[in-house]
Amino acid sequence: MIRKESYVGQARLAKPLTECRLTLVSSCGVHLKTEKPLDVCHPFGDFRFMRVPSGAKHEELIIHQLKYPHDDADLDINVIFPIERLQELSQEGQLGELTANFFSFIGYNMDPEKFERTLAAGIAEAVVEEEQADCALLAPA
Amino acid sequence: MGLIQRAIEARGVPTVSVTVARDVTEVIKVPRAVFLPWPMGHHFGAPFHRDLQRRVVLAALGLLETSNEPGTIFDLPIKWADVRREAKTLTEQGRKL
Repeated sequence: MIRKESYVGQARLAKPLTECRLTLVSSCGVHLKTEKPLDVCHPFGDFRFMRVPSGAKHEELIIHQLKYPHDDADLDINVIFPIERLQELSQEGQLGELTANFFSFIGYNMDPEKFERTLAAGIAEAVVEEEQADCALLAPA
Repeated sequence: MGLIQRAIEARGVPTVSVTVARDVTEVIKVPRAVFLPWPMGHHFGAPFHRDLQRRVVLAALGLLETSNEPGTIFDLPIKWADVRREAKTLTEQGRKL
């Protein structure tokens, strides 16, 4: 239970953004068209997450999520998952680099305790250990 | 999503989120966020509106460098009516591509 006083202390950037490795995490349910989608119909939600290669383009991606309007994101994925904008910023040198993979899952999980223990811990571990990100941008859908 | 943000930050990696639901973000107490008064599913603006998408991303990344207080929510006061007006032509052009 998150209480009035229970803020997480802020971590600090160890270096300027131009030298940082950034990752992106979203609950928009985007994934590569070649992969099987998560379970959008499960009554308690799907507590797994997917990896999306950070070099992917709009044409290679698809959204499977029933809980928010994604008509506009279907036209241009960057409306909810700004992968191509981040690729540009990285190429321009405004960001050091992008992690090899970004992260996606589907929101509306009905068990917050299980969510924290499985999905949140799993993504956080992958962001820190596997991808060794220096900072993270999160986009809740 | 706020729980994931908290979990990443707690492991020592600075995070920033982009939200269209200020009330939820306030309750979950994320380390820092940018708020836009826009509809769900449109956190970075409108289709093919590259400049706007970029502006939101840069505002969020800027907060990683400037915010000092846990729970900072930075308001980016861009009206959705203005976004729609600007985006209409871009979307029509984009559909034809």
